[in-house]
Amino acid sequence: MFALARLVVVGFFVLTIVYICLSLYSRSVRRDKLETEWREGGTEGANIEEFVQKGLEEYDGSLRRKLILGVYVIPIGIVSFIIYATNFM
Amino acid sequence: MGYIKWTFWITFWVLVASFFHYTLPQHDVARITDTYEKRIDFGENSLFWASADTGNAVTSVNRDVFFIQTRLSNDNVMVYRNEDTGWGWPPYFKFDTTNLQAEASDLKSVAETPQWVVIKHYGWRNEFMSIFPNAVSVRAVDDPNVRMIPWLNISILIIFFAFVWAIWVRCRRFREANIDPVLEDAGDSIANTSDGVKKWFGSWRK
Repeated sequence: MFALARLVVVGFFVLTIVYICLSLYSRSVRRDKLETEWREGGTEGANIEEFVQKGLEEYDGSLRRKLILGVYVIPIGIVSFIIYATNFM
Repeated sequence: MGYIKWTFWITFWVLVASFFHYTLPQHDVARITDTYEKRIDFGENSLFWASADTGNAVTSVNRDVFFIQTRLSNDNVMVYRNEDTGWGWPPYFKFDTTNLQAEASDLKSVAETPQWVVIKHYGWRNEFMSIFPNAVSVRAVDDPNVRMIPWLNISILIIFFAFVWAIWVRCRRFREANIDPVLEDAGDSIANTSDGVKKWFGSWRK
């Protein structure tokens, strides 16, 4: 059980670092895109802060943001598959 | 400086290559001649042995290890150990050691009526350190000349080198953008200064 606990704790720690970095990166990319969109025009009436704020709030509820959870899901899936392939296939 | 740099990079890449050669799965075609277990007292070579079967005590200093001895299709002999990797490194997540031993025993054959098997394994055989590759799975095949393409190894290595390349390109760009201009400036100012010093010495010599 100790070996499993070690794997889970270390894995969770490393993946959390990856998750946080990826979230921050994705958010900053979205912010850049919104700012470019505002500068290119076609968004009359809103000032840049409001426009970006609104865009980021939409992003917070989006599927794209939830897809970053794949950072946890994909490794768990791979490990489960390897366990199945090695021991039961 | 050139020698130090080359020594460093050659050592680094030899270590990376041996790491992959040890860890990635390889396939041997062989005929299983016997299976047995033997008590092993781990010493200097303990790094090259896996841990006790998952769930068993981990504190014991020695234990019985399963072995599979074979004759390869190229007529050399090869002995594999058969140990759990459990939840540890390398990530094969192998828990079915005892079942594998049962399968291997079932596939035993003699030279006159050979039953060929493909043994997936990782690790090295080294007689001077008494280390053995760890068998991961066996399956029976009819033809000893069966052709196997290591798709998994190919994809893992491609992904690895893609990462290395991505990091290398970024390092180079960073150096071109930030470090080289600074060094050039420094070089220019040294050149200017030495010019000035020469002139001063020249004026002094007259």
